[in-house]
Amino acid sequence: MLGYILRRLVSVAFTFIAVSLIIFLMMHAVPGGPFDANDMPVSEAVRAKLMAQLGLDQPLYVQYLKYMWGVLHFDFGVPYQSPGESVLQLLSRAWVPSLVLGGLGVLIGAPLGILLGMAAALNRNSWIDYLASAVATIGLTIPVFVTSMLLILVFAVWLKWLPASGWPNPERWILPIIAYAAIPVATYARYTRSAMLDTMSRPFVTVLRAKGLSERRIVFQHVLRNSAIPLVTVFLPMFIGTATGSIFVEAMFRVPGLGAYFVSSIETRDYPLEMALMLMITFMYCIAYLLSDIVYALINPRIRVGGAE
Amino acid sequence: MHITRKLVAALAVATALTLPAMAQSTITAPGQSTSGTYMDYMKTVYDRATFAELLQVPIATFDKEFELTPMAAESWSQSEDGLTWSFKLRDGLVWSDGEPLTAEDYVFALQRAATTGYDFAWYWDFAGGIKGWKEVTEGTADVSTLGLEAVDDLTIEVTTTAPKPYLPSVTSLWYPVPKHKVDELGDDWALNVDTIVSSGPFEIESWEKSNNSVVFTKSESYTGPWQAQVDRLEVDPSLGAPEVGLPAFLAGDADYSFLNTGQVPVAMAADPDGIRRNAVFATSYLSYDLESEPFNNVDVRRAFYHAVDRDELTSTVLRDIAIPAGSILPPGYPGYNPDVVGQATFDPEKAQQFMADAGYPNGEGFPEIEIWIREEGGYNGAIVPAMAQYLQAELGEHLGITVSIRQLPGADWMDGLRGAKNNIFIAPYEYDYLDPSNFYGIFYDGGRHNYHVDEYDALVAQADSESDWDTRYALYAQAEQVMIDQGLIVPLVHPITTAIISSELGGEATEPNSLGFTPLDRLGHYFFTHLTK
Repeated sequence: MLGYILRRLVSVAFTFIAVSLIIFLMMHAVPGGPFDANDMPVSEAVRAKLMAQLGLDQPLYVQYLKYMWGVLHFDFGVPYQSPGESVLQLLSRAWVPSLVLGGLGVLIGAPLGILLGMAAALNRNSWIDYLASAVATIGLTIPVFVTSMLLILVFAVWLKWLPASGWPNPERWILPIIAYAAIPVATYARYTRSAMLDTMSRPFVTVLRAKGLSERRIVFQHVLRNSAIPLVTVFLPMFIGTATGSIFVEAMFRVPGLGAYFVSSIETRDYPLEMALMLMITFMYCIAYLLSDIVYALINPRIRVGGAE
Repeated sequence: MHITRKLVAALAVATALTLPAMAQSTITAPGQSTSGTYMDYMKTVYDRATFAELLQVPIATFDKEFELTPMAAESWSQSEDGLTWSFKLRDGLVWSDGEPLTAEDYVFALQRAATTGYDFAWYWDFAGGIKGWKEVTEGTADVSTLGLEAVDDLTIEVTTTAPKPYLPSVTSLWYPVPKHKVDELGDDWALNVDTIVSSGPFEIESWEKSNNSVVFTKSESYTGPWQAQVDRLEVDPSLGAPEVGLPAFLAGDADYSFLNTGQVPVAMAADPDGIRRNAVFATSYLSYDLESEPFNNVDVRRAFYHAVDRDELTSTVLRDIAIPAGSILPPGYPGYNPDVVGQATFDPEKAQQFMADAGYPNGEGFPEIEIWIREEGGYNGAIVPAMAQYLQAELGEHLGITVSIRQLPGADWMDGLRGAKNNIFIAPYEYDYLDPSNFYGIFYDGGRHNYHVDEYDALVAQADSESDWDTRYALYAQAEQVMIDQGLIVPLVHPITTAIISSELGGEATEPNSLGFTPLDRLGHYFFTHLTK
């Protein structure tokens, strides 16, 4: 197991280098630079000065090596969009609201989705099942900015129960958390339902019933555990996707989070921040899949990581 | 004590205690860009933090009638040869940390801009015409050779390369930089609320960098004209998108909001008295690569000029959000000339004749063209894509040609325009200073478009330094006639913005000007200091 983890970590390092190279080259292959979107072009002399200030006058390979050398020392540079702080300071500041809202969205949404999926599987073809399917379909198909708009319209503008948007006080978090939770609820409801139905049709469940185990014990101790693999596969990537912020939810609810930086760093050619965000996401996904693999082995002894046996 | 007296005394104390709290007025306003770097207009204009300019007092600025009003300056005068302007500052102006605000702070602002790489440097060369500006920005001359001098604490002298009769209006974007702070902290003085100092009607209380929202408070130390009438001003750029701004406004979280096309009828029905319209001093136009096929042929360009039905365009797809443009200058802008505008007629027969003259009868043999448009936010976001589709259909119908559309991010679009990577563009432009030289300058000798048209350039250069205003306007009209005769551009539309404001807002700034328009925060200094709640 330990050897396997070490081997995986080495492959993470290679993935990291490959991604960094691809992102760096793509970033610089896109035409234009940090000062090219202005309404009036700057003169060559002024442009040269501005580019030199950002170190963009050096050859590309020098820029890449310097940046990656910095990364090895946890120095991701200074974002062009916010020169008063380092990229790490920016991430640690802007990530908090995204982590709070997106994280809570998943942590609340996933159990709700599991419950909904269980209820649907246990009451197959009943109204509960149809309701769960409807909720899941709506949650997955309506874009989040439409859901957000509807939530604001109903709860803030018409009913006036909650504030429309904003960040600092917790009553302003409720609507964005609901918006964030829609996808985990829907995804989990669907996965749980189909995984449980699949498990319940297996012969061992019939054997358990024949042995006289209570239905509750069968469901919670055996069926749920055997249905957990797909749920684990989905959970960590979904958590990363949501807890790093959504540009739509954050824009609609005026959340000062990380989501918008994914777009603005590309639009404004903010190279240090763009690289840092991509490397961060790559790293998190690599680790998430590694953790998922380990968890598989823990919840299902039939799975052996490492493949040697 | 008598019971009545006791009561009166208690009431008086209670009133005294609650008055300051009751008088505390806060305005929540939408901002523009959700990212901003320095809270310093003279360091970066395009990437500045939200309303950085509100913290500082310009030499002069415009009121809602677009009358130039002295701010930091008390008066100004021009030398007889027209080359030197002298600005006299008001006595007693100070920075919020108590340091006196002097002529040196204004001169330093431009000296630093000329030497350290300023994204707005073109303005001071081309609009300001300051002597030595080009040489200093290019690094071939020393900063001491700039035509700028702080004669004494209250007198600034500006020397220009040619007479600049409109220089006072150019100073509406000339803000001071606290030299004492830059000496101590460098440009980083403008990065943190703790070290930012102000000289204007507002001070800064907080700045949330994740969405560039800023809280300003009324300055206690500012003694110049136009003092703030509200205590706090919260500007949140995430309210700038009407899709977010209007719901927040309806829920009571914002004091005004701009409206998108779909929202205008809803807001009109909800509160007709709260609606404010503004004609932005901006123009969208078609421009070309004049050097390459097929637009190197003047007849083709003339055909395009007459093939657009601006009235239909602005009464259908751009209803409520734009008005027809017959000139590069918008209505109400200095130098606006109805004779020029009258020539921009929709005349499909004439257009077809021009196409035939160019060798493309009924569009036969004309290459397929692709109009490049820029990804836009704000008012242009609603106008440009819809207009491109309209043009696609119109040009197909009237000229018999095939048009496609390609939308590019700002930097790529600009790269295409400058590098002639395509031959036709829809280009929007909003004024930077209130003089015709601003709009005509964008086509002057390379300017924004890589256009080099000798006859046009000569007229614009002559007009630029002409001190008789009637002659000047006549010269600009001649320059625009060259644009029309050579079909250099096709003026399309001027944008109209619509906003809804809360009935709690009051003050002159909420009332329309004599043209019936309310410029709102387009005139930041005027608007936020003439607003009450």
